[in-house]
Amino acid sequence: MHNTALILILFTAIVAVLGLLTALRPELTRARGGKVLAFLSLFILPALAMWAGTQEHLERSTSTQFCLSCHVMEDFGKSLRVDDRSYIPARHFQNNFVPRDHACFTCHTDYTMFGDYKAKWRGVHHVLVQYFGKVPKPEDIKLYTPYNNRECLHCHAGMRAYEEASSHHKSPDMLARAASNQLSCVSSNCHDIVHDVAGLKDAPMWAPKAVE
Amino acid sequence: MMPTITIERRIRWSGILIVLGLLLQMLTLLWTHPLAFMCFLMIGCPLVAAGMLLFFYSLVSHQSP
Repeated sequence: MHNTALILILFTAIVAVLGLLTALRPELTRARGGKVLAFLSLFILPALAMWAGTQEHLERSTSTQFCLSCHVMEDFGKSLRVDDRSYIPARHFQNNFVPRDHACFTCHTDYTMFGDYKAKWRGVHHVLVQYFGKVPKPEDIKLYTPYNNRECLHCHAGMRAYEEASSHHKSPDMLARAASNQLSCVSSNCHDIVHDVAGLKDAPMWAPKAVE
Repeated sequence: MMPTITIERRIRWSGILIVLGLLLQMLTLLWTHPLAFMCFLMIGCPLVAAGMLLFFYSLVSHQSP
């Protein structure tokens, strides 16, 4: 647990103690100081704790640990560690092309103002399905909409390796078509091995060497 | 005029709701899991919000003598 979370837990505990004091001794509010205490402990500070807690949870929900904490996602987590360069997630994860602790979220949210909120709303639906619905097999899980090249180009656009690769100039307008999403990066017989969880059963896994 | 005892009772309930909500929020912060996030959002936050609303209601419905 990192320091921010500890500070937040401590702050929430202090606010709870102040709230408890006001709840147990409401007669304090007859005096002016008591009124100020009630306003702080029953409105300002709890609102602050709630806002900070929401931010902390939203931040945590972008972590790889969070995404892979549901059983159905375990195989998708494996696809980050498979010892095979042709797997796009493995190549990105193992070479630090994406931050390892935020690997899922880096590629699976829209880079728009409300993108992460939309993703969270869908996540709430997924949790409900996990506990109250019929959980699909990992290989049956599909994206809601076709994968948007924008998520790839968020990092790759402008990269020399991307723009000068001969495979990206098989036709003169290839990069333009990719940029306009007419040609999908991941489903046009190019980079089409993404998670491929059905093929992971006996695949060898990569383990990072421990730093001495 | 609303008796002082009524507003104090409401403040007490408001405090209890807020404390319960905050305790739950605190517990969820100890755990990184979708269920913790949902408990925070769907139980903790509504409890705190209900406590705040009750506090405001007790203020606006109180008439000074």
